[in-house]
Amino acid sequence: MRRILAIARKEFIHIMRDKRMLGVILIMPLLQLFLYAYALSFDIKHLPTAALDLDHTEQSRQYISALQQSNYFTVNRVLNNYGQVDGIFESNQDQVVVVVGSGFGRDTTAGRAGAVQVLVDGSDANSAQLGQTYSGALSRVYGAKIAIAQYEAKGASVSNVGALTGNTRVWYNPEGKSASYFVPGLIVVLVTMVTVLQTANTLVKEKEMGTYEQLIVSPIKRIELMVGKIAPWALIGAVEILVISLIGIIIFGIPFRGSALLLAVASLLYVTCTLALGLIISARATSVEAANQLGSLVSFLPTFMLSGYIFPLSSLPWVLQFLSYLYPARYFMVVTRTVFLKGGGLSVLWPQLAALAGFAVLMTTFAAFLYRERA
Amino acid sequence: MLPMLMLMPVLQLVLFGYVVGSDVKNLQLAVLDYDHTVQSERVVEAFTSSGYFTLAARPTNEAGVKNLLDGGTAVIAIEIPKGLSDSIRARRPAQIGIVVDGSDSRTSQVAAGYAQGIIASLSSQFYALPSAKPGKTAPVGVDAQIRVLYNPTMRAVNTMVPALLAFVLLMSTTNVMSQAIVKERERGTLEQLFVTPIGRSDYLLGKLVPYIGIAVIQVIVTFAVGVLWFRVPFRGSFWVLGIGLMLFLFACLGIGMIISLMSSTRQQAQQTSLFLQMPQMMLSGFMFPIAAFPPWLYFFTFLIPLRYMLVIVRSNFLKGSGFVALWPQFLALAVFSLALFFFGLSRFQKRLAD
Repeated sequence: MRRILAIARKEFIHIMRDKRMLGVILIMPLLQLFLYAYALSFDIKHLPTAALDLDHTEQSRQYISALQQSNYFTVNRVLNNYGQVDGIFESNQDQVVVVVGSGFGRDTTAGRAGAVQVLVDGSDANSAQLGQTYSGALSRVYGAKIAIAQYEAKGASVSNVGALTGNTRVWYNPEGKSASYFVPGLIVVLVTMVTVLQTANTLVKEKEMGTYEQLIVSPIKRIELMVGKIAPWALIGAVEILVISLIGIIIFGIPFRGSALLLAVASLLYVTCTLALGLIISARATSVEAANQLGSLVSFLPTFMLSGYIFPLSSLPWVLQFLSYLYPARYFMVVTRTVFLKGGGLSVLWPQLAALAGFAVLMTTFAAFLYRERA
Repeated sequence: MLPMLMLMPVLQLVLFGYVVGSDVKNLQLAVLDYDHTVQSERVVEAFTSSGYFTLAARPTNEAGVKNLLDGGTAVIAIEIPKGLSDSIRARRPAQIGIVVDGSDSRTSQVAAGYAQGIIASLSSQFYALPSAKPGKTAPVGVDAQIRVLYNPTMRAVNTMVPALLAFVLLMSTTNVMSQAIVKERERGTLEQLFVTPIGRSDYLLGKLVPYIGIAVIQVIVTFAVGVLWFRVPFRGSFWVLGIGLMLFLFACLGIGMIISLMSSTRQQAQQTSLFLQMPQMMLSGFMFPIAAFPPWLYFFTFLIPLRYMLVIVRSNFLKGSGFVALWPQFLALAVFSLALFFFGLSRFQKRLAD
């Protein structure tokens, strides 16, 4: 026990001496937290739009001003003819062009549908999708208003006009704050990065510097070396989770609806997994660069991509979905999101906890095996 | 090391292409049907055959819906009210409840949008007005034809793969280069080199050329996989693309040199690279749309060379934009590249000189 503490203390001293690493560990999470809470989202409002009015009637002008008044489109340009459209898109001046057909006014007053063409720049798939959704919604709403006027003009009573509408309720995050979605995920990603990369490096560095042999000939057992090396990182990982959670809740107002105990247990299991992974890499890597490359390969990228952090897992091709089941991060992600936003408890989350426990046991056993073998 | 260098971009391509490039579809849908009529089945069928939704479960009450959403089994639920088919027959308005899991605001927004679209088209089917021509319904209101240009299927891959060309360049050049330079400094072999007849500028050139070579190969591999495997259309000119990428390469080399100057160990170099890469990934328009940024962040993005490169590469690939259309981006990129490269070079030479 004394030997473990000695190694842990030595590791701590290494960490404290490396100011830059401290900076990375402390500043990066805070920076990302800040960005996600205040800046990053997929909610695009004010799509830059150009309007081409081929009708020049009062009705067409009303339609264009309805576009402008919705927060989704900012009409910042008026075009004169169809030929200008390509140039606008190629030089990225606008993302949407709304063309009001000649005859719009005539058609709508006569009780027919007015023709409008909405051209969306598909090269930015994200904005294109939203542009499509917004213009669809806008035209439906506007169209419904005109339709009512048309029916009244025809003498039909409005109460006779039925329609099927959808009433949307948004659960868990009604204001659509992206922060609430990203921050629980951020915890997973950051903890992974820090723990895996650092533990992957720690033993390899000693090997390269030659101090590894010195450690081997000392009375310390391999297992004790392993535990002592990773203990500080476990602590740092735990502290980071705590700090990010608290900052998220207190400063950014992210809800926390579940059980802190559940989160703590899940965090413990997950950190065990990542530390074990780091040790496995450390045992197998032959140089610091290889450790670094391998570490970021198996920790950073897959956690970022395959855990459901930013991109929904349901949209992935099945091969990648299958792969994501092999990553503990995926399960931990569900736990953090549920605990923060939905308040689900053990009854809902037991599959994830079971998976995390399974992975933790499997990976630590494998790591211990690798270390025992190196006689 | 070399196989990993070649493998990395392909791996990134696969990950980014399939994950980031995945479109929102196959969303798990829960259906709470209180009506159990032919019409309500038609509603369900309209949803499941749209390709956007997969039927996950049919709970029997609201508590069931809550459990499904809580546990993540479904991300969206529709509630069909009792008496729907009666209302339709009597031409009374009816409402379908949509509940979305808002924790992922992007997916939920898109999901709600799809749902509304499906309901709207169901509405015009159920409530079609008889018109003068029997058997045909007359559209009313506004008939908006929405056309998506350049990328009609809105495959996100088409946006991601061109962006990856630039990103691969950035990641590998800055990472690999800074690591290699710092390794020599760590090992102390730097001094050994200088007692040889190799001059300072020869050393620099010799150091840079391999990385330029590797970068070129990685870009070609990424391009080939993107066009041939992911079938991303390439409508632009190789000239525009080539010159843009070359300018960007010099910017990356400059950044790599600056990182290597700031780091005394490889671990530090790695951390610094990572530290610089994350903001570039998030703030350049690579993943998150710049248009959604608050104004203060929006201005900050002008300082990121990757931002301009992304516009150039995406516009050239999908829209065939040339130098004329993209001159602001080219100008900005040129300024950044030259500034970063020569700054890095001069500092590097100074460091070597002592």
